[in-house]
Amino acid sequence: MKRETDYGYALKSVYGPEDVAGFDYSRDLNDPGGYPYTRGYYPEGYRSRMWTQRMTAGLGTSVDANKVLKKYRDMGQVGGICVISDRVFSDCIDPDHPLGRREAGVLGWPGCSLLEFEEMMEDIPLTGQSITLLGSSAPSTLRLAYVVALAQKRGIDPSKIHGSVMESPFENYFGQTDVSPFDLNLKLFLDASEYVLRNKIRMRASIISQHFQESGGNSAQALAVNLSMVKEICGRLINERGLDFDTTSLLPYELVSVGTRFFEEIAKMRALRRMYARMAKEEFGAKTEKACQLLMAVHTSGRTMTYQQPLNNIARCAIQTLAGVIGGCSALDNATLDNAHSEPSALAARMSLNTQHIVAYESGAADVVDPLAGSYFVEALTNKVEEEGYKIYNEIQAMGGMVAALKKGFIQEMLSAEAAKKFREIDGKERLVVGVNHLVIPPEDDFEIPIQEVHSQDSETIANRMAEWKPTRDQKLLNATIGQLYADARKDDRFNLMPSIIEAVKAYATVGEVMGVIRKGRGLSYDPFEMIECPFTFE
Amino acid sequence: MLKGKGIKAIVSMIGLDGHTTGGEIVARVLRDAGFEVIYLGATQTPEMILQAAIQEDVDVIGISSHASNYIQIEYLVELLRKNEMSDVPVICGGNIPKHVAKQLKGRGVAEVFPPGSSSADIIGYIVANARGAQRRSA
Amino acid sequence: MKINGEDKGLIDALGSGDIRTCARIISRIERGDTEVVSLLQALYRAGGRSRVVGVTGPPGAGKSSLVSQLVKVWRKRGLKVAILAVDPSSPFSGGAVLGDRLRMAEHSCDDQVFIRSMASRGQLGGLTKAVGDALTVLDAMPWDIVVVETVGVGQNETDIIRHADVVALVQTPMGGDDIQAAKAGINEIGDIYVVNKGDHPDANRTCRQLRDMISLGQHLNPGDCSWVPPVIKTQSLLGQGADELADQIENRFRNLRENPEMARRRARERVRHRTAEIVRDMLDRRLHSEDGQAVEAMIDSVLVRERDPYALAAGLIAAMT
Repeated sequence: MKRETDYGYALKSVYGPEDVAGFDYSRDLNDPGGYPYTRGYYPEGYRSRMWTQRMTAGLGTSVDANKVLKKYRDMGQVGGICVISDRVFSDCIDPDHPLGRREAGVLGWPGCSLLEFEEMMEDIPLTGQSITLLGSSAPSTLRLAYVVALAQKRGIDPSKIHGSVMESPFENYFGQTDVSPFDLNLKLFLDASEYVLRNKIRMRASIISQHFQESGGNSAQALAVNLSMVKEICGRLINERGLDFDTTSLLPYELVSVGTRFFEEIAKMRALRRMYARMAKEEFGAKTEKACQLLMAVHTSGRTMTYQQPLNNIARCAIQTLAGVIGGCSALDNATLDNAHSEPSALAARMSLNTQHIVAYESGAADVVDPLAGSYFVEALTNKVEEEGYKIYNEIQAMGGMVAALKKGFIQEMLSAEAAKKFREIDGKERLVVGVNHLVIPPEDDFEIPIQEVHSQDSETIANRMAEWKPTRDQKLLNATIGQLYADARKDDRFNLMPSIIEAVKAYATVGEVMGVIRKGRGLSYDPFEMIECPFTFE
Repeated sequence: MLKGKGIKAIVSMIGLDGHTTGGEIVARVLRDAGFEVIYLGATQTPEMILQAAIQEDVDVIGISSHASNYIQIEYLVELLRKNEMSDVPVICGGNIPKHVAKQLKGRGVAEVFPPGSSSADIIGYIVANARGAQRRSA
Repeated sequence: MKINGEDKGLIDALGSGDIRTCARIISRIERGDTEVVSLLQALYRAGGRSRVVGVTGPPGAGKSSLVSQLVKVWRKRGLKVAILAVDPSSPFSGGAVLGDRLRMAEHSCDDQVFIRSMASRGQLGGLTKAVGDALTVLDAMPWDIVVVETVGVGQNETDIIRHADVVALVQTPMGGDDIQAAKAGINEIGDIYVVNKGDHPDANRTCRQLRDMISLGQHLNPGDCSWVPPVIKTQSLLGQGADELADQIENRFRNLRENPEMARRRARERVRHRTAEIVRDMLDRRLHSEDGQAVEAMIDSVLVRERDPYALAAGLIAAMT
């Protein structure tokens, strides 16, 4: 059995003062709320601001999703809502598209138009809680448009809304794929980012390493990839869109994947804060304290939730949640014990939320900021993962940054190799997973957990409803806004499409129509699958 | 001689499923065991997988599923049956709940491998059950 | 030559474009099934219709996506296309991950396009023969164009691509050192040179350098002076240049028709090449056959230096005739 960190550093059995020789408290750690923020951003930690506890939802029709969100609220999730798109929305086609018909509403919310968003948000407030809509990069502008459009309809000042609806285009390389070309995703992501920053909407963009790690990347690589992605996005917003760093620093929101290797995960989070602060100050010349702080949320690792003996996952989730809390985060959502089986059942969802509540109210871990600081082991680990992270970060920068490294295939190969290595380690029992390759019991002896049913017939219903509803829209208004969007899409990359997207969305244009027309404006086919024709005519 | 020699396998995702990590790993594992793997990747409709199975004359079809779109897998099995290709077994791996696995097997899927299945189990099963197993062991 | 009933059925099926029969025969060829030889003989004698285009180049040049674009052009022109995508197997395990189909996914459900991946299965020599045999099968079907796509510019890949009538050599824009390496690739087999990723800043310079090298080569080795290999720029991901490439391929086919002497010379080389492959395969089988006790005894005697490989070779050939 390997006694190494996930990035291959061989752990000693004991750590002592010699492992932190040269340690300088004010340079390397400082108090919470002081640069370089290794110990966290708030002097009082969770006493001043408890982390947002939340669960993900999104299944079946929008009306179903609405019910689930209300149910979670009753279960104690009041900090925010978090909804994942279905694959159809992620690929920016409509449910009535031939490929969309069978999969609408499966494994996510079928957010194809403003109508769906209105249904999902019925009696749910847009303010006073964080609004997070996830699921692939391509529909980012649509998700933002839905929020802005609904806010306008409800007479709410958009700058009062907070949360996250944009996902970075890098996701496509980390297993969270959609079918949009990278450069289109990047351009639209920058459009949405610029829009929220200039309009002072406190919507964040997830530029995250969660999917990278869930696809097999190790902690050191995750740090390097994280920093490189943020540097790339902020760099482009500054150079191509004329913003300054301190403004762009308000954009990124980091979602860290936290696995079961307790101390390594805490070290990773501390190192990330320190590395980000240094990059902000030294590479970007950040002028304010806030600009050196990276908003960090935690997602406990879905990949570690085993199929076999799922009750074991409660213990894993508890360890991971504790690590996330001690590591220091602004929000935490846990994967559920049945992650390998289906969408969360009510029991599993409650279990996960309760795990957070137990850590928050029973363990005492939330009462002290960065309680492991000063531990020889944790400080040594923090330094080590940072050191290894910088090695890879420098390699990526030497290639010209994240986009250049992706074009060269460097990131993809690194991830592929690491994923293969992880598989081999488990297959060969170099790393043990209880119930999977160690202490395995026959499946018949396993505890039967309740499983959330997937109602596949909903897909057809959603598809048919969309097909019937489309002709009932105000065609004149729709054509006018779509026409404007098409004209704007033909302009230079730096021309921000958000305003015209929002107008089209308000006219109830669907995601397939909005993205299709943008694609057409850029010389691509209307339909990414080239199965349907553009229903609009332009001069 | 490696176990997989002479056996041609499709490894693919199905429908709008874009989660490629699992499939990529399995493709490599099979290659290292001597199989010839036709790796189709993401966004493959059942019709596309059928065409690949016919043109490449494969002995087994492996679907890596992380999108809960089981209806597509059932549809694939149906398509294979309609095209007289039921002698090519379909196996699945991924986040598939037990009751769904039972349902899929009832509809003609040969075997379902949960996450964490060992490569030895997967390889062993394919070698024993892929089309032409009898011919090869003779 | 008499054709048995079963073979006749297969020949008719192929003639009518039956994909499944074609796929199964190719599998038998890949397995080294000797019973397929009589069919191949009959098919060869009745064949000669197909136009074979070879596409090769170093890894990473974007060949598969370029072929996919070419197929798009040909389909628009109403042509039926078959593609053999040849990939190397792992030298360690003999297995392979064949990913060319992935890059041609848009043609997956077009019934006028046939895509078949072939891997070397650890015996490179056997592969070129298998490709030749597969081409004989495709020749009996109503395809307008047959493409053979290989990766790499080594000797083995060159052998495979020799089966083609017209060869397109694909590369990416190169830096200084790579140009020197590419000189080795500028040999007599390229009919058309393609610089893919044509939007790269070095693309034009690479085209110029290739043209210079080609004209130097022609000057030193004036073989076929009716044809000066053109250099084309493409960008396969954006679909640029594929029309031009398809046109140049047509031009070369027409040029061969207009120069029958040259075409015959090339065809004769192909026959020599194909026959040598078959002979090599027969010898290979003899040398490796498990029930060839006599061969094993001969190898033993060579090991102890009682005999030598030359005598062994002569003995094998004598035994075979």
